[in-house]
Amino acid sequence: MRATAADRTQSTTNPYLVCAAAWLVPGGGHLWLGRRQKGFTFLITLTAMFMFGLWIEGRLFPFDLSQPLVALSAFGDIGIGLPYFIAKALSFGAGRVVAITYEYGNAFIIVAGLLNMLTVLDAFDIAQGRK
Amino acid sequence: MTSHLGLMVVFSVFVSVAFAALTRDEPADQLRFGARLFAGFMLAGILLGWLLYPLPL
Repeated sequence: MRATAADRTQSTTNPYLVCAAAWLVPGGGHLWLGRRQKGFTFLITLTAMFMFGLWIEGRLFPFDLSQPLVALSAFGDIGIGLPYFIAKALSFGAGRVVAITYEYGNAFIIVAGLLNMLTVLDAFDIAQGRK
Repeated sequence: MTSHLGLMVVFSVFVSVAFAALTRDEPADQLRFGARLFAGFMLAGILLGWLLYPLPL
């Protein structure tokens, strides 16, 4: 049986570089490995989820190690990769604590980051030939 | 958007789509699993809402 383009790509790529791409751009690792449908699904869904969280006034938490829960939230936030840095650079994600949607916004942003971390693990497994 | 139910629906859609794409390879399987996941989210959310309603918080 002939190897597909995706199989050839998997055998020649460094899984750690794939992980970096997958973290930086949601779905980037899957796109790199030729899994276009999954890659575009993650790119659109996770980016939209992150942006929706910002839109409903969620906050991008700082890495404040004196407050462990804030630091954990920041860790979740940064899981989305490049969109996090773009939002920070554009001064989005200030969060308005009194907004009725504040906590919901935080949940959307953090969960988008955590889901992107799962896609990184999935991309690693694909790059290792396990899936 | 400030409706709690509306936000729950949007959240469930995003998470269902992401998990369906993550755990299933065929588009038909993804659609089936995503729909089941979404229905599960909605049912669990509404059920928990009703169960927690009497609690004084």
